[in-house]
Amino acid sequence: MIDAETAGVIVMLIGFYGMLTKENLIKQVLAINVVSIGLVLFFVGTGYVEGANFAIAPNENMVDPLPSTLMLTTLVVDVAITSLALALILRMGREEI
Amino acid sequence: MIPLIVALPLLTAFLIYLALPIGLRRIVKPLFLAGIFSPWFIFLILVGKSHLSEVVGGWSRVSGIEVAFDFYNVYFILAELILFSLVSLYSITYFKHRSVEKVYVLMLLMHAGLLGAFVSRDLFNYYIYMEIASVSSFALTGLSEEKGAKGAAFKYLIFSLLASYFFVFSIGLIYLKTGYLNLKLIGENFTPSRELNAALGIAFTSLLLKAGIFPLHFWLPDAHSKAPTPISALLSGIVVKAPLYGMLMLALTFPLDEFLKKALLLIAFSSMFFGIAMALLQMDAKKLLAYHTVSQLGYILLGIATLNFYGAIYHAFAHALFKGGLFLSVGTLINAQKTKNLKELTYRHDKILMMSILMLSLAIGGISPFIGAFSKKQLLNGLVGCELFYLAGIGTLVSFAKLNYYLLTPGKAERGDSLQRAVSITLAFITLGFGIYFLPELSLKNDSLNILAALILFYVLKKMGLFRIKMKAKFGKLGREINFYSAVFALLLLLFLLKLF
Repeated sequence: MIDAETAGVIVMLIGFYGMLTKENLIKQVLAINVVSIGLVLFFVGTGYVEGANFAIAPNENMVDPLPSTLMLTTLVVDVAITSLALALILRMGREEI
Repeated sequence: MIPLIVALPLLTAFLIYLALPIGLRRIVKPLFLAGIFSPWFIFLILVGKSHLSEVVGGWSRVSGIEVAFDFYNVYFILAELILFSLVSLYSITYFKHRSVEKVYVLMLLMHAGLLGAFVSRDLFNYYIYMEIASVSSFALTGLSEEKGAKGAAFKYLIFSLLASYFFVFSIGLIYLKTGYLNLKLIGENFTPSRELNAALGIAFTSLLLKAGIFPLHFWLPDAHSKAPTPISALLSGIVVKAPLYGMLMLALTFPLDEFLKKALLLIAFSSMFFGIAMALLQMDAKKLLAYHTVSQLGYILLGIATLNFYGAIYHAFAHALFKGGLFLSVGTLINAQKTKNLKELTYRHDKILMMSILMLSLAIGGISPFIGAFSKKQLLNGLVGCELFYLAGIGTLVSFAKLNYYLLTPGKAERGDSLQRAVSITLAFITLGFGIYFLPELSLKNDSLNILAALILFYVLKKMGLFRIKMKAKFGKLGREINFYSAVFALLLLLFLLKLF
């Protein structure tokens, strides 16, 4: 079995492959979203501790909560930028695509 | 105290949107100006003290976010404040949109984002604030009515986003290896390893893409030349400095690998010359300035690669002032004469803009007593390959000889807006003032030799017909262009990883 970090990196590379090969602008936006999903998976994986409990205060042995919290922020940025990218594609109209 | 410098513009951005639904449209403009100018108070209170740092909310350094105000960022913040103050005055007469408050709010967000990135000493916090600034810049670039502006904004967005994700990935690797995000704690606790080296390689490559340094410059000329003029000044002047500040912080925290230093030096020099060569071929006034940004960013990277942080910081400061000024001055001409073609533009009838563009051209060429002379002198400390450095200086002067030559030829005599002209000349005098403050001596002999060499070279190039070459667009479709340049980024990333891991 591979761990979550490796899986995350692989998903990121799949997204990057999409950036390299797809000509359609909307597909490129989707490809970059795949990169971001891979990144989230990678980060969540870095906080994972084998056999640990969830991260609520009086726990002795718990997973590292910080990476997951960071990813919440990244996801927010991601949503904002995806919507902006799609809006730009709409505004470009037919002539430029 | 330090976090307030970020909080004030954010607060006013929020208040503007609160004021609209209750019918207080007339206070939008005062609120906007208040948001832009209020960080000055915090700055003036803090500036006398040295080495300030604090953790937001009084947490311990391990769990909180540290912000600082010291030598390494004071000049970035000062340049940011000067540029934003002047550009905000400029944009009041420039933007005539129906819903102009959108532009104001986005500019305030950019202001807050940049200030936040510059005070931050925490990797993730730095990334978030840089992202806030970038998202506003994408939207502001896309606001331009010019043909192709939306495409340029899209290209800027995609590459900046790709770079951000890889940067965050490298932050993740650093966190995995050291257990901290705070730069000071990382610096105290890390042990050198292959993984850390690889993380640094990824971080530097992605920041190079975000800054727009050759060979990862492809989004920059389009985005910077097609954005509305005040936004171009901000993008070229200060937004591209945020990634460079990140590189500076990384270089201060980690000892850089020998290969990485050599590679950065090579990239810096090639960026300097590539920018100049492309600028010489441009007939579009704003694109010429945008290519000069690529070249000048090479100078700043040179300072980072040779670990000459003083040089890098001073040149970043100088570049923000003169490039912002150049974009505003040339943009005022473009705005009045409704063309971007150098052959049709002229400043002959307008003595104020003529003076301002001439002064700023001398500043970017490194002629004393302007600030460019001082920062270039700082960059020369401990540098091997001085000849190349001087050559790049002459190249810059040649290209600005071209700009001024074409602007001198007579054309339509239309004056621009008087406030816009006043702002342009103010920036020119600020570069002169700081130049005299830092280095109050003239080096007449060197400078006149440089200018003479540049003029002769310009004449020869003009006779050879270099300026008649027309550049054609290489890619039919935007999608294919993005594919190609992503591949360039992938190759550079791979090269760094293979060498460093």
